[in-house]
Amino acid sequence: MARMKFICDTERCIECNGCVTACKNENEVPWGITRRRVVTVNDGVIGQEKSVSVACMHCSDAPCMAVCPVDCFYRTDEGVVLHDKDICIGCGYCSFACPFGAPQFLSKGAFGSRSKMDKCTFCSGGPEANGSVAEFEKYGRNRLAEGKLPLCAEMCSTKALIGGDSEVISTIYAKRVSIREANGRYPSNDIFGWSTAYGPSGSPAPTPTPADKIPGAKS
Amino acid sequence: MKLNFKTFALCLAAGALLAACSEPPEIAAKAAKRPDVAPYMGADNGFMTKGWTPGDLASWTEAINKRNQNQSEYSRVK
Repeated sequence: MARMKFICDTERCIECNGCVTACKNENEVPWGITRRRVVTVNDGVIGQEKSVSVACMHCSDAPCMAVCPVDCFYRTDEGVVLHDKDICIGCGYCSFACPFGAPQFLSKGAFGSRSKMDKCTFCSGGPEANGSVAEFEKYGRNRLAEGKLPLCAEMCSTKALIGGDSEVISTIYAKRVSIREANGRYPSNDIFGWSTAYGPSGSPAPTPTPADKIPGAKS
Repeated sequence: MKLNFKTFALCLAAGALLAACSEPPEIAAKAAKRPDVAPYMGADNGFMTKGWTPGDLASWTEAINKRNQNQSEYSRVK
């Protein structure tokens, strides 16, 4: 059985936010909720700026599932972490537990009242009939049941974000890395792993760009 | 005997009071997790892709893995 995952190649992500827009449009995500977002580190540091597209990582041992007091989460056979909005009480525990900030809540008025939790579903809906109106209104599109993959990954212009069966996408990514190595970029890295995706562990800390090299900056 | 009657009355009163704390079955059923339908069963809408049979896990997996290769330019560009 497939185990669905996302990988974001920081060497390719150009921070276009196309994935964010695609997700919002495809799932008709309401204002105030962003299921996917692009995070940029070393912003403005020449040669060291990296962007990564982040959403729910569909963790194998998901902390949101562990802390939910009403046990509304479940994991599908494809390894996608989903939740039942009819059970969710909007307490926000999952939001505190998640290291990626995936669970989102709508502010629904005064006194900090919140909506039920909303997050990336890997475009696989929720516990309603596949492709039904009820499923779309609560969870968004169920592209997996239509034989498709999440739109954010499928429409990524640079193919920085790839999503699908972990075995398949890691093979795709490993091929890229081996070609980069063959071209003399990032030699001696592992073929696949954290250091390949986010730089080797001994990488020097980024040095800020001098102000005189930034147009319009004051020293 | 008098004490027993008192105890019985107390238990009855406690039972009546605690009945308010119970959960009616229709509410309990709502709070129970509902099973999700597996994606390989297909979707009941007009957006299904062709080339696989809904309900057949093997054909769905094959179709998804084939579609996955569209994310690799080394497969797409020959």
